[in-house]
Amino acid sequence: MNVLLVEDDLVLADGLSRMLKSHGLSVNTVNNGTDADALLQRYTATVLVLDIGLPGMDGFEVVRRLRARGSNMPVLLLTARDTIPDRVHGLELGADDYLVKPFATPELVARIKALIRRSSPQPTQLTIGGLSLDTSSKRATIEGKKVDFSVREWTVLEYLMQQASRVVSKQQIIDAVLPWGEDVTLNAVEVYVSRIRTKTAGSGVAIRTIRGFGYMLEKSDA
Amino acid sequence: MRPLRPSIKFNLLKWLIAPLLIINLVGAGMTYWLAWLPAEHAFDQSLADAAWALTSQIKQVRGKTSLELTKQAEQMLRADHFDKMYFVVRDAQGETLAGDRNFPALTDAVELHEPYTFDAEMNGEQVRVVALYVSIDRNPIYIGIAETFRKRNQTHYVILMSLFLLDGALTFFSIAVVWIAVNKGLHPLRELQQHLGQRNHDNLTPIEFAEHTEELAPVVTSINGLLDNIRKGASAQQNFLANVAHQIRTPLTGLRLQLEWLHQRHADEPETAHSTELMMSSVERMVRQSNQLLALARAEPSRFKPAYLEELSLDKLVEESVQHFIEQADKKQIDLGFDLQSARMRGDHFMLRDLIDNLVDNAVRYSPPQSTVTVSCREHAELTLLTVEDSGPGIAPEHRELIFDRFYRANDKIAGSGLGLAIVRDIAKDHGGEISVTSGADDRGTLFVVRFPRHGLAPTTEHIVVDLSKV
Repeated sequence: MNVLLVEDDLVLADGLSRMLKSHGLSVNTVNNGTDADALLQRYTATVLVLDIGLPGMDGFEVVRRLRARGSNMPVLLLTARDTIPDRVHGLELGADDYLVKPFATPELVARIKALIRRSSPQPTQLTIGGLSLDTSSKRATIEGKKVDFSVREWTVLEYLMQQASRVVSKQQIIDAVLPWGEDVTLNAVEVYVSRIRTKTAGSGVAIRTIRGFGYMLEKSDA
Repeated sequence: MRPLRPSIKFNLLKWLIAPLLIINLVGAGMTYWLAWLPAEHAFDQSLADAAWALTSQIKQVRGKTSLELTKQAEQMLRADHFDKMYFVVRDAQGETLAGDRNFPALTDAVELHEPYTFDAEMNGEQVRVVALYVSIDRNPIYIGIAETFRKRNQTHYVILMSLFLLDGALTFFSIAVVWIAVNKGLHPLRELQQHLGQRNHDNLTPIEFAEHTEELAPVVTSINGLLDNIRKGASAQQNFLANVAHQIRTPLTGLRLQLEWLHQRHADEPETAHSTELMMSSVERMVRQSNQLLALARAEPSRFKPAYLEELSLDKLVEESVQHFIEQADKKQIDLGFDLQSARMRGDHFMLRDLIDNLVDNAVRYSPPQSTVTVSCREHAELTLLTVEDSGPGIAPEHRELIFDRFYRANDKIAGSGLGLAIVRDIAKDHGGEISVTSGADDRGTLFVVRFPRHGLAPTTEHIVVDLSKV
């Protein structure tokens, strides 16, 4: 779980690196585009977090060269400029995501983790409050006691756990469980969530309903 | 006309009408003399004629001069329709030979055969006198004829009245002509004024004024030059705002990250945690202000670039910000809900996010804790709608227009920049849309509705499916 951070603002780079480390990621920091380009030729990071406005070689050029070398390393662009051409240009060059400064830290961490999940195997253990999911053995426990979920419930819960503290729409849940290859209605999602709630009651995990939109799984005080 | 402020019209009228009146007055005086002098002369002449006629009746009989005038002839001489006539014949010694004895003295007539005219008084009445000094058989004889002023006064009166009426009519006519001419002459000025008056106050494009008169052309050119300068100034100001906001973003992000880390590290030390929390809330305010400045600069109609328009869905844009909205709403325990149906339109992604962001932020910020805020969007054949409804205190009808003004704040007790709704309106306008504010359901709370034109986008059928998502 290696993040290569390319950012010329030293305060931001230092703060970001500390925050990412506190989220269990290892971080290497480079302060300009030329060094980043040189480093990327002999080093592979799990995720590249890249500022666009760099001295010397800008972020766009770093991405262009990276993709030209055939690398499919996930790239998250950071920028203070948020105009359509900037965004489109970055994504066209092959960046995977785009975040405008000043970003909220949980948002950045979530995006980085999403990029990591896309390229590397999922963590096998998801734990929030008293609820633990072992994704390889498909075993769920609350305070050490085993709980049974149906396959669909399991998939929905796993997705909500991965997106913990983040609002997800019902449509996003459906998209996440699409591998079933079946039609899943929005109403069905409600049914699964309601069953999960019953089974996880008292586990220290709550699934909040966001009226008219979706759900958010978070740690509860109970 | 306001005399306190200099007015071109007033000045023109003053400088045209005053001399015209003076010229009219002088003209009237001259006309009076031209009419009256010949008349007076003619009256005097007829008196002189009568005197001459008398002369022929004076005979020298045996060294004694006498007037042989029949009763009939005397009656004819004295008969006048209006005036009393008097006559006298005197010798060199002043002895009255015939006629009225109380006739005024005639000795002023010294030139032989030259009638001499003067005014005198007789029987208590003003009279006009013609004195004639003739020599009959070498005897000097004075003849006097007089008449009262009645006829003359009558003529005088007629002349004056006619002049007065004529001159009054002429003056009135002149003033009318001057008035019309001045108004007509100033017409292009008034048109320009109306043209300028009809313009939107933030319209800085050059004036396209068709009726360029020789005199107005330089004025219009100058105004256009000025407008151009203002436009450049406004544009420079917008660029400056945008640049400052950009420049502030990176250090702010760094500051926020460092504070968050510090806060995390010292979460178990209440005093430090309290301090870092305060700092973080300040940073949040700065972040919001710089975002608002940038949004304001971006929403400025003169900066709006239709080239950035793309086909997008408002429901997706709202989704992008849901996380942020929920976090905001949680702080005030506000029940934030959504009703998002497919709502496609052509627009600028970031500007519309600014719009949604500001509307929702506004609703959450000004609603009391535990109230309800609902964001919804949908599309119709011609319109794409975004609505934000809250169950807050509502906005009084008389304030509803004002809330869109920059820096207007309905409630000073709540922190805010007063820019949010101005930004919202600018962005709605940029997209050819409009925003209205009314009270919500059951006449409570506030309902903001933004209507965007669909510019011929085909309606989707997708929303029928999405309808099921209503909870």
